[in-house]
Amino acid sequence: MQHPSDLRHDVLMNRDEKTMPDLKALIQAEHYDEGWNRLLDEARSETDYTRFLSLCRWHRRLEARAPQRVTKTVKLALLGGASTEMLEAPLRLAVASLGLGCQIHRSSYNLFAQEMLDPGSATAAFAPDVAVIVSTPANMPAWPEPGDDLDRVQALVDEACEHWLGLCDRFHAHTPCEIVLNNFHALPTRPMGNLGAKLPWDANNFLRRVNLALGDRAPNYVHLNDVEGLAAQYGVRHWFDPRYWFHAKQPVSFEALVPYVRNTARIIAALFGYTAKCLVLDLDNTLWGGVVGDDGPEGIKIGEGDAVGEAFKAFQEYIRALKQRGILLAVCSKNEDANARAPFRELPEMVLKENDFLAFKANWEPKPNNLREIAAELNIGTNALVFVDDNPAEREIVRQWLPEVRVVDLTEDPAEYPRLLDDAGCFEITTLSNEDMQRVAQYQGNARRKQLQESVADYESYLQSLEQRAVIRPFEERYLDRITQLINKSNQFNLTTLRLSRSQVEERMQDPNMLTAYVRVADRFGDNGLISVFCAERLGDELQIQLWLMSCRVLKRGVERLLCNYVAEQARAFGVSRLHGVYRPTAKNGLVRDLFPTLGFEAQRNGRAEEEATHWRLDLDHFSPFDVPIKHVEDY
Amino acid sequence: MTDADIWKSLTDIFRDLFEDPDLTIAPETTAADVEDWDSLTHIQLLVAIEQAFSIRFNTGEVAGLNDVGEMVALIARRTA
Repeated sequence: MQHPSDLRHDVLMNRDEKTMPDLKALIQAEHYDEGWNRLLDEARSETDYTRFLSLCRWHRRLEARAPQRVTKTVKLALLGGASTEMLEAPLRLAVASLGLGCQIHRSSYNLFAQEMLDPGSATAAFAPDVAVIVSTPANMPAWPEPGDDLDRVQALVDEACEHWLGLCDRFHAHTPCEIVLNNFHALPTRPMGNLGAKLPWDANNFLRRVNLALGDRAPNYVHLNDVEGLAAQYGVRHWFDPRYWFHAKQPVSFEALVPYVRNTARIIAALFGYTAKCLVLDLDNTLWGGVVGDDGPEGIKIGEGDAVGEAFKAFQEYIRALKQRGILLAVCSKNEDANARAPFRELPEMVLKENDFLAFKANWEPKPNNLREIAAELNIGTNALVFVDDNPAEREIVRQWLPEVRVVDLTEDPAEYPRLLDDAGCFEITTLSNEDMQRVAQYQGNARRKQLQESVADYESYLQSLEQRAVIRPFEERYLDRITQLINKSNQFNLTTLRLSRSQVEERMQDPNMLTAYVRVADRFGDNGLISVFCAERLGDELQIQLWLMSCRVLKRGVERLLCNYVAEQARAFGVSRLHGVYRPTAKNGLVRDLFPTLGFEAQRNGRAEEEATHWRLDLDHFSPFDVPIKHVEDY
Repeated sequence: MTDADIWKSLTDIFRDLFEDPDLTIAPETTAADVEDWDSLTHIQLLVAIEQAFSIRFNTGEVAGLNDVGEMVALIARRTA
C-alpha cells in the first residue's frame, strides 16, 4: 500500500489546514505517482484561475520528470476565431485531469477558416483526432440589419449555420476527425432593451436563433460546446471581459477560463469513453438530513414542510433525473443495513426507492472496499465510479486509496448539492443511445438472471433456459454511436483495446476489405442491447482481426462462440482461408488472454515476455462451428 | 498606501506567482529577468495585482505595463 497510515491520519484531520505535503513537496521528494494523483485531483476541482494556471506550470514540470501514465493520447487541433494561446496549457491539464493524454496543435489567430478549408494546411497535416473551434460572436459572418423581417433573419440564420457547419463539413471531408464547435454566448449589452426579446433582428434575439439552428443541424461528428448555457450560468459579464478582448482577443475572461477549458475537456474525454457510469451515494446528510441510526426514519429530514427536507428532496430529484438517463446508482453508507433501508421502505417522501439502486452497501467496512465491491458487482471499473459523501474524511480516504474514483466535494448546505454534482460534470456524453436509456432495466434483468442461475442445477441448462436470441450484422449507420461508445469504453473483454473515433468506425463500415460485425442479444428477461463488436481486414489470404470486444454484461453466455461461427462463415464468403488474431495484453484484459486457444486458434510466433502481444491463427478448412445456446435470428 | 506597502505586496505577489520565496524585484525588473515570466504569467500577474489592490487596469494600461517600476507607479496612482 502506498498510503502510510500516519500520513492518512494527518490528511483526514487537516486537509484544510494544508499540513498535507503539497504538490511541490511531493515532486521534490520524487513521489511522482502521488504527485500526479494530487495534481490531477486538484485540476478537477480548482476553480480559481490563478491557482489553476499555477497547476498548469506544475503539470509541465511533472511531465518533464515523469510523464503521465495514460492508455490513450489524443491529438487536438485548437483553431481560433479568437486568441487560443492562453487556452493551450489549461486545456492540456483539463484533458489530462480526466485521464487522457493530449498533444495540441494551435493554428494562428483567426486563420482557422483557411486552415479548415485547405487540405494541405498544417492543421490537416497534423491529422487531429479532435478539432476544437474557439469561435465567438465576433466571428459571425453577417448580422441582421435594423428592421429586417423574420424571413430575412431566418435567411441569415441559415447562412450562419452554413458558414460554421460548412467549414466543419469541408474540413471533415479531408481530415476525418471529431469537431467541437462553440455555440454563442449572449452579448453583454442590449441596445434594444427589453423590446429586443420581440425583435428577430435584435442581435441577442438572432444569436439565440443561430444557437437553436446549430443544435438542430449539427451532424454526428460536430459536438456543440454549449457556451451559451455555460455563460448564462456564470453571467455573461463575468464570462466575457471586453478589455482582454480588445487587448489580446481573449475569447473568455480569465475568471471563466477554467470552466471553459474544463467543459471542453469533458466533451473530448466523453468522445473517447472517459466518462463515469455509476453514482455511489452516502445516505446520512447526503440523501437526507440527520442520522437515521440515531434519529430513526421518522426523525430524518426529507420532503416538503421543512426547508432542509425540501433541499434533500430536490437533490434526490436531480439524482433520479441522472438515473433516468442511464446512470447507475449505488449506496455506500456506514450504517446497519436495516437502518439504512428503513427510510426507503417507510417514508413515502423519499423520491429515490430501494430498487433504484443496483448495489446497496450499508456496513462498517472502509468505503474504498465497498466501492471496489460495487464496481465488481456491476462489472465496471472503479474509474467509472463517482463518489458523493458529505463527510470530508470519507472523501479523503477514497481519494487516497482509489485515486481513479471521481470524488465530488460537497459543502454543508444540501441546497447546493445538485449544483455541485452538476458542476463536477462526471457524466458528460456526446450521444445518447437507446442503450443508455435502457441500461438500468438491463442491469435489473441481470440481477434476475443471477437468481435464475442459482435455481438451475447446471450452467448449460441455465443458458438454455435463458432462451437467448442474437442478431449479428455488419456495422450499420444507425448503430454507429453505440459501436463507437463500446469500442472506446470496453476494457476487459477486449483483445486489442484499439480505440476509434466515430469517423474511423464509419470508414471501416464503408471499406470493402473490412469484415465488420455487431451483436445484439435478447433473452427472456429483456434486451441486452448491442453488446459485441468485431472488425477484421482482408490481407491476401487471411483476415486480420483488428477489434474483438464484448460488454461484460453478457460474459459466459456463448456470444463469443456464436460470433466465431459467424465470422468463420463470412470469412469463407470473403474468399480467405484463415483468420489471424492478436491479443494485446493491458492491465485490464487478462480475461481474454486465452480466448483464441479456447476457440481453437493455434499459437504463432508468440512473444515470450508477459506484456507482449500474442498471435493466433485459425484455418477455416479445419473449423467446425460450435454448438451455441443462442438462436441466431434476423431480428428480434 | 505608501510605496513601501506597494513594494511589499507586489513582492509577495511575484514570489507567490513564480513560486520563488527569495525572488527580489526592482523598478527596472522586466520579464527577461524572471524565469517563467511569459505572456501567460504576465496576464496572471496583472489579474493578481487587480485582485490584491482592489483596482482595475484600463484597457489602455494593460498593454503598457512592461517593467515593475511602471507597475508600482500605476498602482500608486490608482490607490492614491
